[in-house]
Amino acid sequence: MTDYGQDLLFGAFVTPTAAPVHQAVELAVAAEEAGLDLVTFQDHPYLPRFHDTWTLMSYAAARTSRIRLSGNVLSLPLRQPAVLARSHAALDRLTGGRIEMGLGAGAFWDGIEAMGARRLSAGQSVDALGEAIAVIRAVWDATATGPVAVRGTYYQVDGLKRGPAPAHDMSIWVGAYKPRMLRLIGRAADGVLPSLSYLEDGPSAYAGINEHIDAAARDAGRDPARIRRLLNINGTFSQFGRSFLNGPAEQWAEDLAGLTLEHGVSTFILATDDPTAIAEFAGDVAPAVRALVAAERSA
Amino acid sequence: MGHRLRFGALVTSVAQARRAEELGYDLALVRDQPDGDAWTLLSWIAGHTERIGLATAVDAAGWEPAVLGRAAASLDLLSGGRLAVALTGDHVAEVTDIVRGVLDAGEPGPLRYLGERHRVPRAQRGPLPAHRVPVWLTGNDPEDLRRAGRVADGWMADLSRLGAGELATAYKILEDAAVEAGRDGAEIHRILIVGPGLGPDELLALGADTFLVEADDPAPLTSWERLREGSGPPVCRPSSVRAKRRPGIDYEAIPASLAETAVEPGDLDYARVRSTYLRGGSPGVVLRPRTTAEVVDALAFARAHPGVPFALRSAGHGISGRSTNDGGIVLSLAAMNDIEILDPSRRLVRVGPGARWMDVARALAPHGWALSSGDYGGVGVGGLATAGGIGWLAREHGLTIDHLHAVEMVLADGTVVRASSSPDENPDLFWAVRGAGANFGVVTSFEFEVYEVGDVGFAQLVVAADDPAEVLVKWGRAIEEAPRDVSGQLIMGAPRAGQPMVAQLLAVVDHDDPETIIERLQPIAAVAPLYQQQVLLTPYLSVISNAADGGYHQGAGEPVSRSGLIRHLTPEFALAATELLNSGAVHWFQIRTVGGAVADVPADATAYAHRDANFSVAVMGSSARRVDAAWDRLRPYFDGLYLSFETGPDRVGEAFPPATLERLRALKGRYDPDNLFRDNFNIKAATR
Repeated sequence: MTDYGQDLLFGAFVTPTAAPVHQAVELAVAAEEAGLDLVTFQDHPYLPRFHDTWTLMSYAAARTSRIRLSGNVLSLPLRQPAVLARSHAALDRLTGGRIEMGLGAGAFWDGIEAMGARRLSAGQSVDALGEAIAVIRAVWDATATGPVAVRGTYYQVDGLKRGPAPAHDMSIWVGAYKPRMLRLIGRAADGVLPSLSYLEDGPSAYAGINEHIDAAARDAGRDPARIRRLLNINGTFSQFGRSFLNGPAEQWAEDLAGLTLEHGVSTFILATDDPTAIAEFAGDVAPAVRALVAAERSA
Repeated sequence: MGHRLRFGALVTSVAQARRAEELGYDLALVRDQPDGDAWTLLSWIAGHTERIGLATAVDAAGWEPAVLGRAAASLDLLSGGRLAVALTGDHVAEVTDIVRGVLDAGEPGPLRYLGERHRVPRAQRGPLPAHRVPVWLTGNDPEDLRRAGRVADGWMADLSRLGAGELATAYKILEDAAVEAGRDGAEIHRILIVGPGLGPDELLALGADTFLVEADDPAPLTSWERLREGSGPPVCRPSSVRAKRRPGIDYEAIPASLAETAVEPGDLDYARVRSTYLRGGSPGVVLRPRTTAEVVDALAFARAHPGVPFALRSAGHGISGRSTNDGGIVLSLAAMNDIEILDPSRRLVRVGPGARWMDVARALAPHGWALSSGDYGGVGVGGLATAGGIGWLAREHGLTIDHLHAVEMVLADGTVVRASSSPDENPDLFWAVRGAGANFGVVTSFEFEVYEVGDVGFAQLVVAADDPAEVLVKWGRAIEEAPRDVSGQLIMGAPRAGQPMVAQLLAVVDHDDPETIIERLQPIAAVAPLYQQQVLLTPYLSVISNAADGGYHQGAGEPVSRSGLIRHLTPEFALAATELLNSGAVHWFQIRTVGGAVADVPADATAYAHRDANFSVAVMGSSARRVDAAWDRLRPYFDGLYLSFETGPDRVGEAFPPATLERLRALKGRYDPDNLFRDNFNIKAATR
């Protein structure tokens, strides 16, 4: 049993489809109106059926006023760390602190390579992500003296002017499943963001994720409770309970509260492009999860 | 080629951009952000403005160039076609090529680019932006200018950084390089950043077409506004676009009302309009009228090109209709898609030909109304409602045309007429339009009297078809014996090795009582062992809402489709149909139910005359020769065909019985003697 006591966030994981052009934006607005905390977009720059995720996020940010936005997760190999840092900081300042950074080391390397970027092995991509986080944090650290200097194997930044700093203490959430990446998160990132559908042993696999992160965090002198545990979820609302996240809203609430209390998962991001599901998740599931978790935590 | 004069403001905040938009500026250009990110700010501004053009300078060093292309397409789409991009930095010619290569989504194959600095092995192109995103280049050195002259859509410079006389020299280099590259020097936009103090004459003397004003607060345009009047045409096609024009079409003669919306082969929008649902096309020009008056103009243009193919298109689903062509004129009615309730008490609605049937259903649903059309929501109103309309409620409510009350149409000579069954409203034309409309004119609006439809039962069954003939006979009998509130279809394909033969049985039961629905479906479900079943109680709207929104047709090749109308599915027919399926020549075999209310209408009441058929059979294959070899064995069983599903040549005599055809030929002689409308089941005018 590991509940880190983190505040709960509920979000939507929206397909950045380019046709209809404004569908993803409308879903972001729907998520805000439904009362969700967060709307996130996947990033596959090699697929032309999708919008450029960063452009979409910036535009959707302008069309909303309260909801937080993040990539889920941005493809690092096709985006430069210093640019990611500056653009996130810029949008965070424009939105009054509504932006978080979701980062991934890269998946679908065939597509990444086809666009002109360099193919990395799994191990190399973890190291590259570690260097990228160092660059990003250095850019954001606007008050430090001297320019940014990170001389890594994958990224060499020398003499880059620092800043701007984001408007709020922006989190770096990393999509991760395997030990090396999880240890990097424990050392250097602010959250872990896996997808339920990729967890081979189902939700219970989160225990292993926590073990790696927590050990690495403690080794680095960081408090594991400050590393957010997020999860992309998918499921079906149905009249009768059939299986995990397949049933009525009350059952969803119990399933998710169980994940919070047992594994400390504090952010649930529902993968859907259906405004009705967004409304049900925000209106029925989220309050019930909060109530169940609050009751258990105060018991 | 002169360009229209445009005025822009250099902005560093959304407030300035909104102010510029309010003041009537054409463009807001986001300056380099020393402490931020210009692209992000530009995207943010896009979300906070509605009309103003958007531009920024992008140093490609911060981007993977192919991703920048994708981002430009996205921002152009999201902003509704308002983007221009100025590229700066090293290797900018390579970046320009890559960005353009990604934006040119209509080009075949992936983008492969091997430059000195940038290598893109195999990037997929697209998404297709909303308009051709102009790429501007900067730089005042001769080398920069020559590059801009060769490849850019525009050259941008800061006037304060140019010495006296340098501007004229720059233009000269730009133009010489353009001409050397086979371009028209005048097609390159000249974009100048200027101070706010210049008078109109000083401005004009600079010889640029776009002026960007540097100011903390954008100033009113008053003294400059008059300069816009009489400046260049709204559309200036560059030489690379004009080079793709087709012979035989007088592009300069496209009526002014249509020039701005017309699409020709070099245009970016060409990818969106060239093809239809199942057919690839390469028209020479697509005219896109928005009003009846513009249809009149378009027909005048078509009349002036008698030797050029001429196709009509409503939403481009047509299988039979040649709604695209090769090198000809296409009249696309997609923009004429209004849906209007005329009289709620009579459930009278007016619909434009370019509306799609799922849009019609969406507009009717809040009133509890519906109008049976076909089985697919992406089909356009115009083609279907001039041919017949065999839909999900056909046996109960008849064909779509049976609920047509009146039409407004433009005849071949450009006359606008109204047709209805009323004696003083061209009743003979109204008769012809309902079944043979494509031969007589362009319907610009349809008036339908629709009916009330509540929730319906929608069944999707999959049954074993080890003996296809038996399934056909039993299903046919079950349908004929079913009450009229049952309509539906049967779908089979060619047998596949190692897989059991199945039939899909789809049915709509117009009833909101689940028990009645089940009772109605029982005889249909009993025709063969069930593999799968799904029955939903659902609004009619959800049954017909089966097409995607957004996107565009990307059909390729030529469909091969055959149609036949038949009274009963006899054992003899069923055996012949089984042979057809076993031949492997068709991959799609579909029977829709007709009969019922369709047969209540007398055969001579409309040009659609094969009223006594209970079933409409359609097949599709890839080889016309093979399909016909197999289909010919079925032909003796048919009495007529439904022209919407028939692509074969010279089948007019089967689409219309002799008496109908004779009357149609007489009317063709009266309404379209020169045979302007000749592309779809052409009826030869009777000789007088």
